[in-house]
Amino acid sequence: MEATGEDSQQEGKVENENGGLVARTLSWFDSRLGLSYQLLRPAPQYSINPFYWLGALATIAFVIQGVTGGIMLLYYVPNPTQAYATTQYIFQNVSNGTFLETIHLYTAYAMIMLAFMHMMRGYFVSVHKKPRELMWVVGMVMGFVTLGFGFTGYLLPWTIVSKSATDVGIGMMGALPQPLASSLTFLIVGSGTDSGELLRFYDLHVFVLPAVLLVLLVVKMYMLESHGVSEPTNGVESLPPKKRRLIPIFPDVSFYLVELAALFGAAVILISVIFPLGLPPEYSAALAGQYVAQPDWYFLWIYQILKISAFEEAGLPIALSVVTLIFIALVLLPFIDRGKTRNIRDRMMYVTLGAIFVAEVAVLAVWGYRTPGMAITDETAFLVLGGTALLVTLVSVVAYRAVFGGLRVFAKSRGSQGVPSVTASSSAPKPAPSKSAAVWTSGIFVVLLTAGAFFIGESINQVVSLVLGATAVLPSLTLSLAGLSLTVVGTLYFLYRLDLGSGAIRRRVRAFEIGWKE
Amino acid sequence: MTARQTSSEAYAVATERMAVRIVSLLLIVAAVSVFVLWSANPTGSGSETTFALFLAVDLVAIAMISYVERSVSEQGSIGRAPLIAGCCFVLVLVVAGIYLL
Repeated sequence: MEATGEDSQQEGKVENENGGLVARTLSWFDSRLGLSYQLLRPAPQYSINPFYWLGALATIAFVIQGVTGGIMLLYYVPNPTQAYATTQYIFQNVSNGTFLETIHLYTAYAMIMLAFMHMMRGYFVSVHKKPRELMWVVGMVMGFVTLGFGFTGYLLPWTIVSKSATDVGIGMMGALPQPLASSLTFLIVGSGTDSGELLRFYDLHVFVLPAVLLVLLVVKMYMLESHGVSEPTNGVESLPPKKRRLIPIFPDVSFYLVELAALFGAAVILISVIFPLGLPPEYSAALAGQYVAQPDWYFLWIYQILKISAFEEAGLPIALSVVTLIFIALVLLPFIDRGKTRNIRDRMMYVTLGAIFVAEVAVLAVWGYRTPGMAITDETAFLVLGGTALLVTLVSVVAYRAVFGGLRVFAKSRGSQGVPSVTASSSAPKPAPSKSAAVWTSGIFVVLLTAGAFFIGESINQVVSLVLGATAVLPSLTLSLAGLSLTVVGTLYFLYRLDLGSGAIRRRVRAFEIGWKE
Repeated sequence: MTARQTSSEAYAVATERMAVRIVSLLLIVAAVSVFVLWSANPTGSGSETTFALFLAVDLVAIAMISYVERSVSEQGSIGRAPLIAGCCFVLVLVVAGIYLL
């Protein structure tokens, strides 16, 4: 005779009544509050991993922001004549005021960093692919709102640092196409007075952006509940059965989230204790002239791009267009990267592009931090940014070779079946070369030739200067020669790649035996 | 009931008892830290640090309680390494907090 649902529940209750103290306590709460009622779908065991919960941690940071910001609202007055004084009052007179301000700032930093990590992790493991395309788009909009929090919140203390940096940001909006520029400026600055500007920023930071973020969070959570946690890139079948089993949201996943949240909170608190926040001087027009305006670290990469000589004055709209295009490409990624495979092994091109993006953002941010207010020459920018991209590409090629033993620039689903394999026997019929692979290789070859010409020219210039007695050019000469060497190695490699059909170079230079693999 | 089943149940009961002891101790640590952090004089900068350190102790204790409960529920056993690391961390924070009191 089969047991009915009621019988099973009865058995469960009897079991719990015979359990230990913790089990009985949980059972008591469960039976009164209905905690184990399956409101949310269970999560797979393999998702018990911090990388699956970076978005949840960013949400926890948002909650901490809400709590600490709410307490500060009790004292803060959004008026240019009182903003700084009330912020100072929080620092000096409110109980644990410095701690409160520090926690608010550092959780904001953590929220931005976690959102960025969440996005890049999603990019590398292809969570943006079917059916989660719109989840990605909503997540990107949430990322922009998070950056908006940073931009608007930065001005509120009305310090020399925050006001100067915000003014630079607002000034740059003037370079945008006219209807957009005037609309954005009106939305953010209002009438143009200091009080109007501060009040708008305050409203955006305290009311508009939190409301928008909450709505988007609900939409994204709904979609997550609908689609579930994304599967591993190798597929669920690659995991042992223990990792595949489903676990309920309460108590298992909930306890895990409490664990992560508590450790995250403790880490932020400790960082706040070690590096307490200080309040910079109040903004005044006289002081502003002596201060080099620089944005907070999360906007430094954009700031550094804008400092490149080619993008100054008349070139500013081009720079803003480049940055806007990067953001648009990120939002529309699910509709650009349409390959079906999610396996990292088959996505070398996108993985390398992602790694180049992360490296360039990091290099630009550190560079911007180290060179406040300094203009960047076009040659230096080309050298540093091009060198970083080249280095990351080479590392990626070597890493793919070492980890996977071969290269798959394009996914199988996009037609890489025509790429010949070095390991294949010579008697095997040679498939037709993939057109896209040929275009890709030729494109890189052209880039390498351009870079080679540039580095040769630079090296000759530096050598001439050195001969004429300018010893200060030694570092530049070293960099030029290093760039030239990398370009030569890259060129040799791609020559070999173009020669895959005949195998003439491969037979002579065994060390270069890197090839396509089916 | 086989001998193996009996042994498994005995192990589960022992783990449950151990979990109750660990959780009880951590609850005491959390309660004491909450008492200390709200008792500290809230005006000086040193006392702010004390407040922050004992708040961190409280959070680490909560994380450890969650870990213990999750481990018992999922695996039926409790890993030693995270508990030892957590205890050392709590100890360092408490000593630093007492030093600043």
